[in-house]
Amino acid sequence: MNAVTRRRFLVLSGGAAALSLGAVGGLGWLRGTAPEVVGLKVLSAQQYRTMAAIARTHIPRGGAFPPGAEDFDLARMFDGYLADQPTADQREAGLAINLVEFGPVLFDHRAVTFSNLSADEQLTHWSAWGTAQMQTRREIFWSFSRFLGLTFYDQEAVWPHLAYAGPSFARLANRTTEHP
Amino acid sequence: MNEILDCSSAEFVPHDLTCDFLVIGSGCGGGTAARVLAEAGKDVILLEEGGDFVGPQRLTQRDTPMYDQLYTERGGRTTKDRTVNILSGRVLGGGGVINACDVVPVHDATWDYWQKHHGWSDFSHTAMQPYLQRALADLSANRIEERQINRNNQILRQGTQALGWRGEVMLHNRVNCQGLGSCFIGCPAGAKQNPRTVAIPKALAAGARVMVRARALQIRDATTDRKRVEVQTMDAKGYHPTNRFAIDANVVIVAANPVGTVALLHNSHIGNDLLGKHVSVQPQIPVVALMSESVNAFDGIPQAYAVTEFERHDPDLGLTGFRVESIFGTPGVLGSLVSQPGSAGKALMAQLDHCAAALVLVPDQPVGQIEVRRDGRPLVDYTLAPEWKTRARQAVKAAARAYFAAGAKMVIVPAAPPVLVHSEAELSRIDAMTFDPATISLISAHQQGGARLGTDRARSVCDLTGQVWGTRSVFVMDGSVFPSTSSSHTMTPIITMAHALADRLVQRAIPTN
Repeated sequence: MNAVTRRRFLVLSGGAAALSLGAVGGLGWLRGTAPEVVGLKVLSAQQYRTMAAIARTHIPRGGAFPPGAEDFDLARMFDGYLADQPTADQREAGLAINLVEFGPVLFDHRAVTFSNLSADEQLTHWSAWGTAQMQTRREIFWSFSRFLGLTFYDQEAVWPHLAYAGPSFARLANRTTEHP
Repeated sequence: MNEILDCSSAEFVPHDLTCDFLVIGSGCGGGTAARVLAEAGKDVILLEEGGDFVGPQRLTQRDTPMYDQLYTERGGRTTKDRTVNILSGRVLGGGGVINACDVVPVHDATWDYWQKHHGWSDFSHTAMQPYLQRALADLSANRIEERQINRNNQILRQGTQALGWRGEVMLHNRVNCQGLGSCFIGCPAGAKQNPRTVAIPKALAAGARVMVRARALQIRDATTDRKRVEVQTMDAKGYHPTNRFAIDANVVIVAANPVGTVALLHNSHIGNDLLGKHVSVQPQIPVVALMSESVNAFDGIPQAYAVTEFERHDPDLGLTGFRVESIFGTPGVLGSLVSQPGSAGKALMAQLDHCAAALVLVPDQPVGQIEVRRDGRPLVDYTLAPEWKTRARQAVKAAARAYFAAGAKMVIVPAAPPVLVHSEAELSRIDAMTFDPATISLISAHQQGGARLGTDRARSVCDLTGQVWGTRSVFVMDGSVFPSTSSSHTMTPIITMAHALADRLVQRAIPTN
């Protein structure tokens, strides 16, 4: 192995630090600023924006029925959920959201972040997380997918579109007719 | 009769307590053990980390709050690689409150297998018969009536019969079932004959003290006659700790589900190197069939019919093969399984009314382990074995064949990407399922092992009385004790085993206060 002089080490370290700072600054610039969101408990405004974009992409408005994730602010629900989770989980979720935000830069080598993609591009990019080679991406896909599916389809306004009549106790308990 | 003490209530003032028998965990194992001991006149305290949920005011049939409140880690616990959703109860009554009420005892061949391979000399199937009978009586076990079988279950049966396969209408533990269909998030009508409705009221009537929102943190002095258990009280939703107190007990029985039991023993520095090893999670695969007709699977008993044709009992492997059982749920949990983002996922959900669904139950060998993180929280490390994957593909194919025989237009396995099969000719598409980590969302409702019983301390964590090797009267009495998967459904095996172990404990001379 080549000997590394102190001077060379300092030059390399300084260069690496400058590159890192430059990269971080560049990523920050790509991400842009997010509008202020009042009342967030764990997520930053930027993370909220990313989470809202993931939710909107995962369950968009329109298609088979009108309501979509943005009608129920699932990103805020996620923030509320995280608030009562252990700190380590909050940190992990924050990292996962940041990774999705910078996914187009890291995995598609594009100079744009997730929140700044068009809706079609977001869908293409997000769908690729479910089938990605990198296991971490797939894990993040399933984690968010489970949460969004659970909370969205638990909304009363969605049920008529699923032919679900709602909690059955009031309808069915003590009925005199037989099952089913 | 004692009342249930809610440690999150303003009236509760934490103070140290004493008892002869402290039972940690109120599910099928702990609830049964507490009842047996209390009815034998013992001085018992039963601790439950979750809350008490009974009746329509508390059991709202809404997915988000119910998964949040009735399940461990708010329903979000998974294996380390996020592939398997590890479901277990965190509520007074434990898993019995949130299961599908399937009564499937340990098969005689499994008792024989444990005798032959794990030295369970005391537990022959003949010797266990009286305990099984007690379990069946606790559960008011009865066969689901024909009038209670909804269209979802009829479709699976129709396909099974068309293929000439063996299947059965299942035994269950519901009495006066109203067909509400929300069994996985509790029964507001109180039809389930589970530990919350049977064992715990009997324990209370016999003088046991029952405390909810009380989490056991650590067992101290496990090698002495008098053990001290540190207990943390929780807030009303069970999210945050509030206070601490201690309970001094002569006997401590841990029954907190394998994951919780292993974590508590580990955090208490109890147990040998095998603690947390040999864990089975019995991963289950959801399979959906799109039918031409309206199925309306939301109402009625979700799980009434099982395809048993392919279940096997191998003298050297234990329970193997697979079975297929109908299933359904409430919209939220069904939506959580959808793997297609965008409009495609919504399009599938919009056809729920025309969907039949099944779970494919593929028993596994105990290849997993439970680790404990630095912060004391458990983590299930589990890798699907190649042999399991082969059987899983066969099982999914069998489910698909049954559905096509019943007239399905398409069969869907919610993987990423989803596996879509339009006819028998396309069954080979299932062969492409890799089951690689996080390519599919699997479900585990039956974790077992981690503190297995045995005669040899080099091969087990507990002796045949359930006492943890190297301790004085620290016992395990839940699904942790099984050396391999006990049955396709664990409620009845755990209650049976808890009766047997608690009975032995009653007869044992234990110093009392």
